[in-house]
Amino acid sequence: MAKDTNGSTLLRWLQIITIGRNPAFTLVRILFLVAGVWLVYKFVAVPIKVQGPSMLPTYADNGVNFVNRLAYRWHDPRRYDVVAIAHSGEHRLLMKRVLALPGETIEFRNGKVFINDELLPEPYLTPGFPTSWTIAPQTVAPGHYYVVGDNRTMPEELHVKGQAQRRRIIGKVLLWKNLFVSSRSRS
Amino acid sequence: MEKSIRIITIAVVVAVGILAWRYFFPSPERVIKSNLADLAETVSFEGDEGNISRALSVDSVGGYFTQDVELEIDVRGYIGRQSINSRTEIRQGLLAAHANLKNLRIEFLDIHVELQPDGETAVANLTVDAFINGERAMLQEVNFTFKKVEGKWLISKIATVKTLSLLDWLPHGERLVSSFGSAA
Repeated sequence: MAKDTNGSTLLRWLQIITIGRNPAFTLVRILFLVAGVWLVYKFVAVPIKVQGPSMLPTYADNGVNFVNRLAYRWHDPRRYDVVAIAHSGEHRLLMKRVLALPGETIEFRNGKVFINDELLPEPYLTPGFPTSWTIAPQTVAPGHYYVVGDNRTMPEELHVKGQAQRRRIIGKVLLWKNLFVSSRSRS
Repeated sequence: MEKSIRIITIAVVVAVGILAWRYFFPSPERVIKSNLADLAETVSFEGDEGNISRALSVDSVGGYFTQDVELEIDVRGYIGRQSINSRTEIRQGLLAAHANLKNLRIEFLDIHVELQPDGETAVANLTVDAFINGERAMLQEVNFTFKKVEGKWLISKIATVKTLSLLDWLPHGERLVSSFGSAA
């Protein structure tokens, strides 16, 4: 008799742990949770997998990050922001840092960036990553932002950079370092 | 009860009718998207494919293009500037790919088709993601121009788009799509 009581108590607890005291209410909660997660991932913090070396050393290859879609709802991108830029759509994005704003003139002189002829401090570039890029001055068009990756050790001609239209910039990269970087990319 | 059954039946019939209409009379946009999906599948290949299968797929690729198809490819750092002006050259290029690569996987993503006012041409803006031997070889925005030839939508021009430049092109502005996208 005592064994039966113990058995039914165990089953009851198992039910509470797995589907709750009220299964219908648990189902509603799950539906709300799924809908909430879907809405956040689609319209607020879009999860992305970072691939490629262009943002090294700041963002490691094969890490996970998020794009904050609401970042530029109330203001335009700012200098140093790391932004996500759409190709023909948003299944593949470019991840770059904004260096020059509309109307500014940007130039690379022996690895150093000059905005309107003034040296731009770039604290995120670590000393172990030397660069010698030299690119002629260009003025950023209205409605455009000059974007470039942090990895300036790459040959300049292999590095995708240039003026991004404002409407292509879908949001700001949320985290300052990637999450869940795979061991393959760390080695 | 009978009334609600009647309403449900009518709704189901209407839905089936719409689906059947879309299946039998697809819009040009749907046809072009379907052609592009088929093309990506035909161009992609695995190392374990037989010679006959390869030859058949290379031969069938020509059917997606007009005779005088133009290719203007400019991918910095990968293949540089390439220009191709006929279907035969595309076929030769594909044969060379089969001979030199173990496998090739092409994906066409985020396809946006814009039908031109003449109704006989259309431009598809999309992102090409290409993998050779499992490694990404190219990620590039491209415009495919389609021309209607004898009732078929054929590719008459392929040109790369510089995503980071002043001359880029995004026909419908921003879109809210991405699920688990990736950033390069």
